[in-house]
Amino acid sequence: MKISKLLFIFIITGILSFIAIINFYFIQKDFTQKHKEFLININNLENSYADITNLILKNSIYVYINQDNIAITNKQLKQNFKKLQNSEILRDSSYADVKVNVDYLQKCMEESLQNVEIFLRINASVKNSLLFLSRHVEDAKILEDYDQKELLKARIILKHFNDTKKLQDLIYVTNKDYLLKSESTNKNVQRYIEDFNIHSNFLMANYPSFINITKKILENKARHQRIHMIKEEFSEISLHDFKALDKFATFLFTLFFFSFLTIIILLIKYQRENRKLQETYSSLEYSHTYDQLTELYNRRKFELDIEDQNKFKNPSLIIVNINDFRYINDIYGNDIGNILLKEFSKFIENQIEKFYESSIYRLDGDEFGIIFNNLNQNRILNIANNLEQSIINNSFIINNIKLEVRVNIAINNVKPILENADLALKQIKKSNKSNIGIFDEEQHLKQNVEENMKMVQTIKEALLDNRIIPFFQPIINLQASKIEKYEALVRLRLNDGTILQPFQFLEIAQKSSQYHEITKIMIEKTILVAIKYPKYRFSINMSMQDISDYKITDMLFNLLEKYKDTNAKIDIELLESEHLNDIKVVKKFIKKLHTYGSYILVDDFGTGYSNFSYFSELDIDIVKIDGSIVKEITNNKRKFHMLKSIKEFANGMDIKTVSEFVETKEIAQKLKSIGATYAQGYYFSEPLEQPLDDDKVVI
Amino acid sequence: MLKLIILITLFITLNAEEPISPIPLEIDYNKEKALLGKKLFFDPILSKDKSTSCLSCHNVFDGGADSRNVSVGFEKRKGNIQSPTVLNAKYNFVQFWNGRAEDLKEQANGPLTNPNEHNMNPKIIEKVINNSISYKKEFNKVFHVNYVNYKLILEAIVEFEKALTTPNARFDKYLRGEINLTNIEEKGYKLFKHYGCITCHNGVNIGGNSFQKMGIFTDYINDNKYPDRSDITHNVLDKNVFKVPTLRNITKTAPYFHDASAKTLEIAIHSMSKHNLGIIIPDEDIKYIIRFLESLTGEQPKILDEI
Repeated sequence: MKISKLLFIFIITGILSFIAIINFYFIQKDFTQKHKEFLININNLENSYADITNLILKNSIYVYINQDNIAITNKQLKQNFKKLQNSEILRDSSYADVKVNVDYLQKCMEESLQNVEIFLRINASVKNSLLFLSRHVEDAKILEDYDQKELLKARIILKHFNDTKKLQDLIYVTNKDYLLKSESTNKNVQRYIEDFNIHSNFLMANYPSFINITKKILENKARHQRIHMIKEEFSEISLHDFKALDKFATFLFTLFFFSFLTIIILLIKYQRENRKLQETYSSLEYSHTYDQLTELYNRRKFELDIEDQNKFKNPSLIIVNINDFRYINDIYGNDIGNILLKEFSKFIENQIEKFYESSIYRLDGDEFGIIFNNLNQNRILNIANNLEQSIINNSFIINNIKLEVRVNIAINNVKPILENADLALKQIKKSNKSNIGIFDEEQHLKQNVEENMKMVQTIKEALLDNRIIPFFQPIINLQASKIEKYEALVRLRLNDGTILQPFQFLEIAQKSSQYHEITKIMIEKTILVAIKYPKYRFSINMSMQDISDYKITDMLFNLLEKYKDTNAKIDIELLESEHLNDIKVVKKFIKKLHTYGSYILVDDFGTGYSNFSYFSELDIDIVKIDGSIVKEITNNKRKFHMLKSIKEFANGMDIKTVSEFVETKEIAQKLKSIGATYAQGYYFSEPLEQPLDDDKVVI
Repeated sequence: MLKLIILITLFITLNAEEPISPIPLEIDYNKEKALLGKKLFFDPILSKDKSTSCLSCHNVFDGGADSRNVSVGFEKRKGNIQSPTVLNAKYNFVQFWNGRAEDLKEQANGPLTNPNEHNMNPKIIEKVINNSISYKKEFNKVFHVNYVNYKLILEAIVEFEKALTTPNARFDKYLRGEINLTNIEEKGYKLFKHYGCITCHNGVNIGGNSFQKMGIFTDYINDNKYPDRSDITHNVLDKNVFKVPTLRNITKTAPYFHDASAKTLEIAIHSMSKHNLGIIIPDEDIKYIIRFLESLTGEQPKILDEI
């Protein structure tokens, strides 16, 4: 449960980080795109400037030139600047400084465009005038004829003008005498000189601004610096941004891979736990159906088969009980006893085999049941006689010991089939007349009613005389070697001091109105004892039916409420039954119980109706591992494995275990060695009238 | 850098050729839009008193300009400058005499909203067009819109203007090596270059790619206040500065200059050379130059024959 929760969290983290990575990828792509866009834009702007500079150079050199391209390039410059200014990245506030500089570039650009316009204007006339003067001086026949001195001067002036333009240096035209003047009265001479002087004047007047504007266009330092600055500033900021992006990416990828790894690890773990659970399940399933020792069907299977209406339509049961089997165990030891049981089982199986509509069960230690279908009483009696005879005639030889086995056989076909057969068996044992007996309904009923009436009276008197009392069986913490809890068990003391066990009176009490009263007394008395012994916790048994009975639960909670301020520590042991109709009620009960600081224990885990699914549904604190498992862990590997599995399974869910029916030292030590927490049983102590003051225990 | 190198090579090759380039024979425009624009261009509905269409002052069938000194628009009000030709206007680097419009779209907005010309405003124009079932239908067909906004109206007109080019002038054919010029024309072209006219009148439009001042060597005096370049730049040095006009179809666009002061080409050339070249060109050479200028008259735009 915990693993699946963790798994869920990490899967979510994994998915989220994956989404973040995808998202991040797009952000980064977008950012890179914007970054690239800006760099391209600024390069394009620079290129446009370079184009214009180049065109201006050409225009000043060539006389005849198509100026369309200058106009086109100017437009491109404007467009490129607009693009740069609208670069998406500049909307980001961290690029505000860059934006200020870019905006400043607009002034530079407007100035450049204006300079180009002025250049084109002056350049046209300067070119034309220079061309005119060149041709004028070439075509100077009139001066040659009339004023050679001025012709010479004209040539020098023209040379200076040409040099100035070529070298872009005003030194050639400063303070020079640049106008022609002739004494000649020839009209054509004067006209020639007049034409020359118009253009000479024009060039003198316009050269400074022409050279100035040309230089301005060709070497714009302010603009270069500004662009350089923008580039530097931009790469500095974007480098910072890229680094931040890098860090974020590393973080996301780490998170993703971490989640990924964790998910894999958790899945593997989950798989393992699952397998363990499966194993436990299947071994439990097997033990639910088969008896471990004899490999016959077990009692549970018997109960299921009896209930199953389709399996045996008309069943008859015979119970075969080995007489005084206890002595065999005592004399020859458990091992021999066990082997005998196995051999005996095989023997019965061989005897019965031929009657196909039958099943054999081991009902108890030395008790075997055989169900026959559709056979009349006489046939069965015949079978029983034959069986008894063959058992008597047969000697079981085990480890060279010859064992004689005697049996009692009870026959019954009246429902409840097992109970009645048991009664018949008891009758046989009591009467000692015959070894084979048939259940007689009429006789039984008479006897039964009598007994019941007697018991009801006994209970009534006991209630009046305050003879319903709790006994306490210690529950030992194996690791700490001390008593930590007591299980309260109901007892009825007869007038002569005999103590009756619950099975002797509780069922009858349940059918009368006394049951409620008994439960109340048990709870209240246990609480009073618990107050006296605050160092122990005390658990009280309740069945599932009890929990479903609001009168009982109300009473329980009223009592818990009443004694809530005392230091009594009361837990509830749930006796399982098939009557778990409404799990919500149980859940609610447990939840409420927990508010009083009480724990919930589940009794008899590993047999009966104990079901793993309880544990996913119910918030259980402790399970008690059933005695049928615990008793055999020292001589039955399968049971030992089951116990360990249950323990580990419970540990995994933070549930503690109590091993019941610890009857020998070996079992206690084995339990302790595998790290089991709690144990109880006759090895430590039988149920006591009072809890012990000393909680120390030697294991 | 590569771009620069390409440009340089391109220029060197171009430069080896003539500084004038022919009008492309293939032009790129959307015919559907242009025909719708043509309808608008011809339609006086676009003026407030329904007296004036674009055609009123830009006779696209004959030079694309106005033969009156200044154009006459809304309520016979007079304009303040000589109407420049709309033919080949798309090859001009800016629009209007003083370049106040960057492109044709900006230009088209000018006269439409000028109180002395069409005297409209975008809202009224939108209303007029949207009230016309036939226009709405056509706009819907061309632009797939239900409501015609002003931008689309301008777009259509501009598309028409883009189609107004006059290719295949004799001179263009000469440039393409298809024909020879007559000796006289050729001599005129040589003089055109020799005297330096080419310095400003070059490129595909033989002008229209730079600004120039009227009166460089001798002042060009005119009493009237014309909107010149200084109106835009607010720079004193830009007084009397105008866009160099195109010389294409020049024989059909008299009177000449922004102030319409030159009624004939002789006068215009004489005046230009005196003020802007500092030269007196002999009358005989002027005649040669005019013969060259005559070779610049191209074919009528094809769009005018389309319906």
